[in-house]
Amino acid sequence: MNLSDVTERISRKLESSGAQPDRQKIESRLRRLVEEFGVNVAEAERTVTGDLAREHNLPNLVSSSSDLRPINEIAPGEWVTIEGKIVSLTPSISPSIAQNGIIADSSGAMRFVVWSRANAPAMEYGHWYRIESAVVDEYKGSPNMKIHSGTTISQMEKDVPLLPSITPSAELAPGVGSVRAKVIQDWDVLSDRMLQTGLLGDESGTIKFVIWKEEGKEKLELDGVYNIYYATVDEYNGRLSLTLNTAMYIADEGDIEVGRNETEIQGALIHVAPGSGLIKRCPVEGCNRSLSRQNYCPVHEIQSNFRYDLRLKGVLDDGERARNILMQRDLVEKLTGITLDEAISIAESNPIGMDEIFYRVRNAVLGRYYTCSGGEFAGRMLVDSCAPVTFKPEELAALLNRAGGEVA
Amino acid sequence: MRPQATFEREPARRIFASEFRETRYQFKEGDDEKSPNYVIFPTGIRSNRIFVVGTLTEKQRQGDQNIFYRGRVIDPTGTFFIMAGSYRPEAMQQLARIEAPAFVAVVGKPNLFVTQEGNCLVSVNAESITVVDRETRDLWVLDTARETLDRLDALGTTGDSRKAQEEYGTQPEVYRKIVYDALSQVQM
Repeated sequence: MNLSDVTERISRKLESSGAQPDRQKIESRLRRLVEEFGVNVAEAERTVTGDLAREHNLPNLVSSSSDLRPINEIAPGEWVTIEGKIVSLTPSISPSIAQNGIIADSSGAMRFVVWSRANAPAMEYGHWYRIESAVVDEYKGSPNMKIHSGTTISQMEKDVPLLPSITPSAELAPGVGSVRAKVIQDWDVLSDRMLQTGLLGDESGTIKFVIWKEEGKEKLELDGVYNIYYATVDEYNGRLSLTLNTAMYIADEGDIEVGRNETEIQGALIHVAPGSGLIKRCPVEGCNRSLSRQNYCPVHEIQSNFRYDLRLKGVLDDGERARNILMQRDLVEKLTGITLDEAISIAESNPIGMDEIFYRVRNAVLGRYYTCSGGEFAGRMLVDSCAPVTFKPEELAALLNRAGGEVA
Repeated sequence: MRPQATFEREPARRIFASEFRETRYQFKEGDDEKSPNYVIFPTGIRSNRIFVVGTLTEKQRQGDQNIFYRGRVIDPTGTFFIMAGSYRPEAMQQLARIEAPAFVAVVGKPNLFVTQEGNCLVSVNAESITVVDRETRDLWVLDTARETLDRLDALGTTGDSRKAQEEYGTQPEVYRKIVYDALSQVQM
């Protein structure tokens, strides 16, 4: 830990209570404790904070690390005392970690780690503990409580049932979260260690989930609605995902109207990709993959009882960004004026077959302006609605004004 | 898990013919043989693909062994020279099929060619050419006007636009007038 970071933290803490501390003084006091007296940084921070709080007459800061705090108010960098219930314990991934899991109170939940070197008593799932002088830092973008040798853990006699608060999926942040969601997609697992992966949705949007193989973990049912308590929320490449290994999930009644993370884009369709137009799909239930010209499915091999479908894979480009889009049959029919039945009969009576439909679709849409809205998924927009852009005289007038004030 | 899309396709820039004709500066990003070639337009943006909608007024088949088509596409400010060769048979056949005059949408790569006399010829190597309608042409003029004005507003604030000012001595009022004149030709 860097002393200037600590200085900054102490200064902010005092400033937030209305004091105006001298940063140089703080740093020199810290340095003295750490370098001359060999005090560890965390302890030096506590001492200096306490001294300064007394000097500035801020008594409530002095006892900050022993004041009981609600979990959802704790930020990385704080020394805290909390009372919480162990709601999840996950197998340790390293010999230097004795235990890790999630601790919760009525305000929220947080991941924690107990270092082996802390020699702390093992905590049990479902029990309440008072944890004094633990330190909270940031791990992969979310707050994480570290229990070290200076932390006191005492088991409590309390057994208050906790009702985790459900968060809309669109408002989840890295850390721990509970959702009520429906399983809307169940994907193929690509790793031996993975039990299940797919997409969950609630009214506010969708989020990817993963369950790693572990004793006692069960799969979610496709289309089932679940209450998922204390899942781990991770961020990867700017996208959130839920890991359910820390979570308790219970099937729930009812259904959810899944909201989509809809975006709208307007631009010119500048590319129609191969695989657009009339395609054949694998008839095996739940497969639906598109077949090659020889009716070969990458999973189910030759399928001659295929069914036909229309789709459009292309690029919509607004001059600033080029985005991949995918449209299903109903939209392709609407934009091109060719129905699936017509497309089939044209293809079956034409010497170039399905290529003829590709050309007709391409000639109908390529180079034209459209407004598309839909959800973005794996770098591609799945278009729900699409309309041609129409010419609006007021836009022309506005642009003339913008270009021409002084010229006209 | 699905593969993450790591490759982001370059957008097709919108540019009027009279600005495109002035383009002289090109560079290659990276030393790799497959590194993309860019040009920088006078209003200050790099591009390796453009989108044009205009009127195809003539086309010509040329060459004996290496057949290619040349076309002229007119916008309100001037002419784009379009090339479609046998290395892109789809685009070539699309152009072969179209009878001039027609409104066409062209997606293609900017191409600079310096003659022995030192003249610079600017053309578009077509990736696709399709017949569109008048409304699409009008939308393109608005779109191109907006993009050009946005670039003029950002002139001097980005690396590419500073490079453009250095290479071309771009005078924003000249391009503002071009935009204004182009818009004036669109019927309300």
